[in-house]
Amino acid sequence: MEEYPQENEEEKIPERPLECNECKKDIAVRYIEIEKGNMHKTSMCNDCPELQKKLLGKALSGTSDKEALLTGLACGDCGTTLEMVRTGHPLGCSHCYEIFSDSIVYELYAVGKIPLNLNIESKNETLHIGRAPGEIVEMNSSLQLIALNEALKETIKTEDYEQAAMLRDRINELTEKTLSESESGESGEPDDKK
Amino acid sequence: MTKNNRPVSSFLSEKNSWKENDNTVWLSTSLSLFRNINKFNFPGKLTTEKQKGVVGLITESLLKKSTSEKFFVCKAEDLGPYDKEYIGERFLSTEGYNQAHAGEAFILDEKGEFLATINVRDHLHLQLIDTRREPEKQWNRLVRMETALGSSLSYAFSSRYGFLTADRDLCGTAMQMRVFLQLPALIHTELIDDILNETADESIMITGLHGNPTEVVGDILVVKNNYTLGVTEENIISNIQSFAGKLILKEYATRKEIKSTQNSEIKDRVSRAYAILIHSYQIEAVEALNALSLVKLGVDFGWITGINAAALNNLFFTCRRAHLLCNFTEEIAQENLAHKRSEFIRESFKDVRLTI
Repeated sequence: MEEYPQENEEEKIPERPLECNECKKDIAVRYIEIEKGNMHKTSMCNDCPELQKKLLGKALSGTSDKEALLTGLACGDCGTTLEMVRTGHPLGCSHCYEIFSDSIVYELYAVGKIPLNLNIESKNETLHIGRAPGEIVEMNSSLQLIALNEALKETIKTEDYEQAAMLRDRINELTEKTLSESESGESGEPDDKK
Repeated sequence: MTKNNRPVSSFLSEKNSWKENDNTVWLSTSLSLFRNINKFNFPGKLTTEKQKGVVGLITESLLKKSTSEKFFVCKAEDLGPYDKEYIGERFLSTEGYNQAHAGEAFILDEKGEFLATINVRDHLHLQLIDTRREPEKQWNRLVRMETALGSSLSYAFSSRYGFLTADRDLCGTAMQMRVFLQLPALIHTELIDDILNETADESIMITGLHGNPTEVVGDILVVKNNYTLGVTEENIISNIQSFAGKLILKEYATRKEIKSTQNSEIKDRVSRAYAILIHSYQIEAVEALNALSLVKLGVDFGWITGINAAALNNLFFTCRRAHLLCNFTEEIAQENLAHKRSEFIRESFKDVRLTI
């Protein structure tokens, strides 16, 4: 466990007033406390645990000892704490993904950011199935053709022949374009014009 | 703020790809890749000095790799608030670039299709806007740029989490695809909710133009990928294309129905929208965007003449604050802006006629 490093005042990035004070999401609530003539203003997003704390008293204070210990966990490289990860703060460095691995998977699962068919139980399971750095994955119009063919089937089913004719023209146009591109050996140069 | 001291708009305004965009329903696609450099903490945990070092590193790599394209590099500290807002409007961003500060930077191409933001949440955010409905081609261009840069910058990557991003919700492919669809017929006949429920797909998210799922501006829905981890880039592109394709078909079918039944409710809304645009003394951007969408629908039905879809799409940008200000050489006071917008739209509508 490491202490969260104190930031140098001069190096602090200016605050962004339209964001939640805790997790930097868009604000939904402006909470103003007036105590003995002093006014404290807090900006919070809708799902902020800080908001729950303010509105429902000490709702989050009933954590177990183990959890309290874990909450103090911090990344040695950048000082990001587990509490910050749980409240949706941005991660501070690549190392955070190793330190808070369990928590990250849990949070991603909880907010529906992982496909349901993905196995998240195994700690060593590779979750990423896309391309790796340096890998070139060229795509051609076939993906669009698949989508258009699906749409064509749908319009024929609903007997919308005017739409079907439009889709057929677009499919033909794309097929011709793809063929001519593959013949000329170029799959899309950066400066291509319409 | 005047046109003369606004470097971004001066660089881009004549190369507006939206001027030729005559799309009626599908407006554009935006493809983004988020990347971080391996040996540095993410921007939120870097000092301003180190952030400036990252800006130098990325800028140098990009300019060195690309000889064929002309890029414009602008540091956030050198830009005024309206220039930053202009970039946000142009690239249909929800990031709030107007708060960008020293240590952050933007790189744009001449056509106004490419944007790289540096140190805004991640070290590098590469974005391409496609207005020709060729997302695969733009994807290939984006990957080539990312790969060329990656040969000199080592990206933060793990086999378990893929490309590592400051926002954990974006790790994996760290790719975001957004398709902008203008669906006035579905929205004004109130069919949209049922259709979205019918076609619901957990891999897809729908928001409004400003990123809010419940606030629809200008009848535009943004279809974007919900997952970046556990899916391939091909999956993302194909799912979104298929989903957007279904919505487009439903929009066309509804338009056909409105036209054949001469729906008087829609006729009334189109007429009122036209009247607002030509008779208002002052108008806010959101009201103008909503009215422009209905006028565009009216043009599609032949109820309104004297303007085409491309001009209306262009007006969609030029009536927003930062773009609007570019049209004036003199300084415009904030309280006078709504009136100036009104005048500008009226001028663009001088040949437009309602024929219902």
